[in-house]
Amino acid sequence: MRFYFLLYMVGAPFFSLLAQRDTLPFLDEVVITATRQERRLGNVAIPVQLIQRKQIQQAGSMRLRDILQEQSGLQLMSGFGTGLQMQGLNPEHTLILLDGQPLIGRTSGVLDLSRISLSGIKRIEIIKGPSSSLYGSEAMAGVINLITDNGVKPQAEASLRYGVADTKRGWGVPFSSQNLEHTEADVHFSFKLKKWTVKQSANYLYADGISYRPFSQDRIPRPISRFTSQSVLQGPIGKKVDMRVLTRANQDQFRQQFAVQNNGVTTASFGRELNSELVFQPTITYRPSASLVVSTKAYITHYVGDQQLRFLAPTDSTYKDRFEQRMYRIENQVDIKKGTTTLVAGVGIQLEQANSTRYDAFTSKKENSVRYAFAQWEVKLGEKWISVVGARFDHHTLFSAALTPKWALRYQPNNRLSFKGSIGQGFKAPDFRQLFLNFTNSAAGGYSVFGANQAIDVITNLNRLGQIAELKSDFSKLSQLRPEFSTGYNFEINYSITTSIRAQASFFRNDINSLIDVRQVATRIDGSQLFSYLNVNRAFTQGGELGVQWQLHKSWNVNFGYQYLQTADKDERSRVFQQKEYIRDLSGSTRVMNSTEYVGLPNRSKHQAQLKLTYESSADRFVHLRLLYRSRWTIANSNGNTVHDSQDEFAQGFVQVNLSAGLPITSYLVFQAGIDNLLNYQDLFYQPNLQPRTVFILARVKIPSKKTSINQ
Amino acid sequence: MRIFLLITATALLCFGCTKEKKPVVIDSRNFDIQSSGNITTVRNLPADTIIGVNSIGQPVGSGRYSFFSLENGQWVPNTDSATNRWDLAFAGTTIRVNNQTSGPGLGGAFVQVGTFESLVTISTDSVFRIDNHPVSYAIPRGSGRAWYTYDGPTNLLTIIPGRVLVIRTATGKFAKVEILNYYRGGVTPSATAPDSIKIKDQRFLHFRYTFQANGSRQF
Repeated sequence: MRFYFLLYMVGAPFFSLLAQRDTLPFLDEVVITATRQERRLGNVAIPVQLIQRKQIQQAGSMRLRDILQEQSGLQLMSGFGTGLQMQGLNPEHTLILLDGQPLIGRTSGVLDLSRISLSGIKRIEIIKGPSSSLYGSEAMAGVINLITDNGVKPQAEASLRYGVADTKRGWGVPFSSQNLEHTEADVHFSFKLKKWTVKQSANYLYADGISYRPFSQDRIPRPISRFTSQSVLQGPIGKKVDMRVLTRANQDQFRQQFAVQNNGVTTASFGRELNSELVFQPTITYRPSASLVVSTKAYITHYVGDQQLRFLAPTDSTYKDRFEQRMYRIENQVDIKKGTTTLVAGVGIQLEQANSTRYDAFTSKKENSVRYAFAQWEVKLGEKWISVVGARFDHHTLFSAALTPKWALRYQPNNRLSFKGSIGQGFKAPDFRQLFLNFTNSAAGGYSVFGANQAIDVITNLNRLGQIAELKSDFSKLSQLRPEFSTGYNFEINYSITTSIRAQASFFRNDINSLIDVRQVATRIDGSQLFSYLNVNRAFTQGGELGVQWQLHKSWNVNFGYQYLQTADKDERSRVFQQKEYIRDLSGSTRVMNSTEYVGLPNRSKHQAQLKLTYESSADRFVHLRLLYRSRWTIANSNGNTVHDSQDEFAQGFVQVNLSAGLPITSYLVFQAGIDNLLNYQDLFYQPNLQPRTVFILARVKIPSKKTSINQ
Repeated sequence: MRIFLLITATALLCFGCTKEKKPVVIDSRNFDIQSSGNITTVRNLPADTIIGVNSIGQPVGSGRYSFFSLENGQWVPNTDSATNRWDLAFAGTTIRVNNQTSGPGLGGAFVQVGTFESLVTISTDSVFRIDNHPVSYAIPRGSGRAWYTYDGPTNLLTIIPGRVLVIRTATGKFAKVEILNYYRGGVTPSATAPDSIKIKDQRFLHFRYTFQANGSRQF
């Protein structure tokens, strides 16, 4: 394989002149997430990052996490699966959509990105900054929207991928005993049935994991088998009326076997996790005239997460955990375009239900219903200005309502320079876990966590029974949970230095209020601690991003991205500035902490950068090299004070290099190969989901063999 | 997994609450007292170290205290536990003062936030707490309450910086104490160290103190 890379590198006409073009083709890409309607990228006031199918395929990505980790300004977090950190906010603050509708099934606020297959996804749109004015709860840090294929061209494509890694030897040898292998099969076809277009995708992935690691705390890449099927049926059902029905089913199963060594005693345990997900999304779109679109969308989604963990010692016992979540939604949206003004308005109603073994009883169904309305008014002011004003109102039955406005402005003095600024609010409604959790670790001296809706009743009751030794001061602060609110400021400058070099600089700041945190509210007489959720924390994140895209030659591309990030818990920060926090010297004695030693929120890297080099003579003939860098981040507050500082435990910063290349054999058959994590960087404790160096090969068969078919 | 760690931890925090009369052999090879100016530093003082596991796999100590005299800068044999020859008694995370339920002396203590050096005068309106064994102690036990935090997931105990134990000794004089470390050798194991190390090396106290012999509240 290396031979081919070399051949490409040398053979490509590296030193020829820069290609000159009159238009900037990227501005013609169509995006939908910024405004909830299809628009040219060059014509929206809110910055949108776009990942096309071609990029996903060229990177050889198998799951959503694989492609997102290669994007500027996005960081992955380990814990409850792989979560996404955007603009320095936690995974629970980024909304993940499939064709504009939210994916559900979060664990502790994290939607596991390694669960989500990219099968049938045509492009991914990323919006950073609060977007609750269009999308409601959870869109605090931003929105990731997975867009399914909307085309009507019949085609068929099948691919098979095999990859191998070996944690010990560095290079995997197929079929050897200790290696980690993965196999992915993907089929995608579409055809016409009279006026109807039918599209079907199916994907199967099996990936080995490490099933045994001493001293483990279940932080290991787990063996996964996953099956995804997606069907789309679309066509006209009347004059000017179109219908589209999307069905997507996903099932993944993790198996793990691990042993815990404790004082020479080894306890073996066997785990099985089965997650099933079903999405059904019918849409009817009515276009009575060129300036009016009315669409009605229904959305039904189910998620079931089922876990079993069997311990063989001290007694053979099985721990069972089951979580079911359902969401039903119907919404109606009207798009009106008149002259220089565009109006998007919609109303919707949503019912969400959950059952969990971790609530008071599995049979007790928890419900929340939401009624919402949103409107966005966009107006062109002359040739150079676009102003977008929008707001959304969400009324929840379980807690207070939320009104989230946003205002965005674009100024484009000429076609090489543009400025985009926005100010907006985001919110996240308390989730079921924060409201209803009723989880007790009943082992001696254990602990309990109660959702905010349970805590007062349960603890007052225990107190009456004489079971409470101490009520903490936070107990008196327990009340109905309120949504978390943030205000985000975003500013971006876009400049095309020449037709082949363009650069962006952006700045962001998010001020987050009433963040929900887990606090101890009482102690039982047996000493066990009782926790609940309170709106107590205030935080901010701020930073800047820099991007440069350089078309070196018609087939050579350089892409550079960098993010600088600063975060802080506002109360912690003020304690540090008031010299109320202490730190230990190397000698062991204590001194007042210096404000420069405060590092802010955990799990945040200050610097993140990436460099991508692409040689591409066609979509299938390419070499794609990506260097991803992330600076160190704090893992735990390990030195006894109450804030994260430079002495705490850090995960090392690292560079990951991914390389892939494609070679068309015939017009029907394409080969692709690559090495993920070429430098074999590993950090089993802090980055368990980072696979060791993995070599993969992939064969893809396409019918009809139109080179543009995957690029459309 | 975390459940087990928690059980272990709780067990560790609970054992050794009773006073023993039998003498304890101090591991004199590592136990070490050094004075420099008016600061005395004690290293590796065993405080009811782990001697094995009980029937359900939890690590346990022998339940005996290590008695220490701040006034004399010496370890005190357990046979003297009913006298006012000792000022502090250590077992795991429990520190007792010589008064009331713990001994016949005039002992007392409270926890002050600040650095060891910045504490030069004990204010006259300070309230010294005393032990009410086994319900409460002058120096409170429990994560985040006085001088340490315990993290369940990593099974590690960490000393909170900026906490000074202000002590009234058995004879009614004053001292200030700063706990430095809880592990053998004065180095907290890394979070990723095996549990066996975290258990075997714990309960070795490191602290430094200044004792004011003239009975005044000035250091």
